[in-house]
Amino acid sequence: MKIDDVAFFKLMQSEMNADPDRFRLLGDADTVFAIVMEDGRATFRVRIRFEELNCVEVGPGAPDTIVDFSLVGPLTAWQAMFDDVLANGRATGLQTINSLVLLGDEVRLTGDDPMGLDKFSRFNQTLQEYIDGAARAAVATT
Amino acid sequence: MTVVENRPEPRKANKDYSGLPEASPMGAPLDWAWLRGAKSEWGVRPKPSPRGLTMLDIAVGAYGEVPDHPQHRSMAPRGCDVEGDTPDMGYILNKKTDVWADNTRELYEEAVARQWSATRDIPWGDLQELDDDVEHAMCQLCTLLTEVEMIAADLPAKWMWRMNHDFIEAKMFLCTQIMDEARHAEVFRKRALSNGGGLLLSRSGPTSLLRTIIEAKTYTQATALMHLLGEGFVLDIFRMGELISPSDVEKRMFRMCMQDEARHVAYGTMHLRYAVENDPDVAEEIHEALDHGEMVLTEFGTAPDVSTALAVLLAGGVEHVEDKGFPLALEMTKKQFTSYLARCERAGVSRLERTQIPLDLLGIDIETIKRSAA
Repeated sequence: MKIDDVAFFKLMQSEMNADPDRFRLLGDADTVFAIVMEDGRATFRVRIRFEELNCVEVGPGAPDTIVDFSLVGPLTAWQAMFDDVLANGRATGLQTINSLVLLGDEVRLTGDDPMGLDKFSRFNQTLQEYIDGAARAAVATT
Repeated sequence: MTVVENRPEPRKANKDYSGLPEASPMGAPLDWAWLRGAKSEWGVRPKPSPRGLTMLDIAVGAYGEVPDHPQHRSMAPRGCDVEGDTPDMGYILNKKTDVWADNTRELYEEAVARQWSATRDIPWGDLQELDDDVEHAMCQLCTLLTEVEMIAADLPAKWMWRMNHDFIEAKMFLCTQIMDEARHAEVFRKRALSNGGGLLLSRSGPTSLLRTIIEAKTYTQATALMHLLGEGFVLDIFRMGELISPSDVEKRMFRMCMQDEARHVAYGTMHLRYAVENDPDVAEEIHEALDHGEMVLTEFGTAPDVSTALAVLLAGGVEHVEDKGFPLALEMTKKQFTSYLARCERAGVSRLERTQIPLDLLGIDIETIKRSAA
């Protein structure tokens, strides 16, 4: 699957919305964030919004779009993360989004609003489940 | 009664209640004032949001206005009519700046929605037999975390009964924090006991830190020490949890705790910001607390038992503790202090020119912190 494509994130959106029980355990999450993939001079940016137990919006995000936080990194790092998710059914080892941001070698957490940045930690497990949905989406589409 | 400008006129009863009895059948006097017209707002109909009726939904009209200086010292609900001779409950935190944060209602709702169970939501059955040194290190860390987590329950409990009841949302949020911390103490105690290990050593260092926090002279100082400094550091340990977890069980445990802890830090950061913005004099009070707190925390963080347990976990065992564990631990310490200093910037109490933390020694880049908080 091509990961720098809004359609890819829409598949994960469908997975999340199809499985509310998985997310009910974690509770409501309300945040809007961006994933930014840098590849040389090209930059792919997707804007994702969670409301309660659902992913209600996935779309291209303009650079000046207002989000709580952005996760910014090279396409190669994102590819490695999603490859791990697809290979193992979920992120493992240091390929979880929290580990990647904590190490900060490639994927960075950025944002202007301290409350918005906090949401990365406050909704981290929900975000991880959303990302892990890539594996379920892959199974569903094969 | 809460003093609010433009408050509506007393409700006029749309029925005539004048004929009601003045005394009970036993001869006791009866009071119909609540029926005949109170000064509080009447006819409020907040609309539930899609998830239900939240605290943000009902913060409407006078009910949503939190006074800077409440008139009363009773437990009367904010927005109702209050008798003039209501007893004083002995509150000492009677200024909004003493306790408030602009995200209080949101955090309360979030906390209620995201509660979890240390019994049910951690896959305890998936625990694996670990090498003896790794199990010991995890048990030592869990011993420490079981010890320190409950300070974040004891401290709000110490101050909550002193908070004016008009700040009910702040008190409600702190109640959720107390529940969260009980669960954290539970989950780390369970982990220590559940895989063939047990609770290990408790040294004096952590207790010194906890005592510094619990003995803070003001609530705002206590918040600076607990939410910003102490919980901020623990939050980073939880974030680090993914790197030190020998199995998915611990990963899940740390990640769930991280979400809770981040709410507490979010409240503390925004409370301090609110306090400093509205009462700049309070900044020095916060700095004084942090001057002392940073020293105690540094002693705690560099305590030999804490640093060795973390290093063993980061190295995956004692074999690589020197070439891998300690260097990684140092890197994590650098990240902890960087996060803490950035939070201080966000809270409006910049420590960059004042801290005694050896920034150069740790390799902390001040410009990065300034940029991240800008």
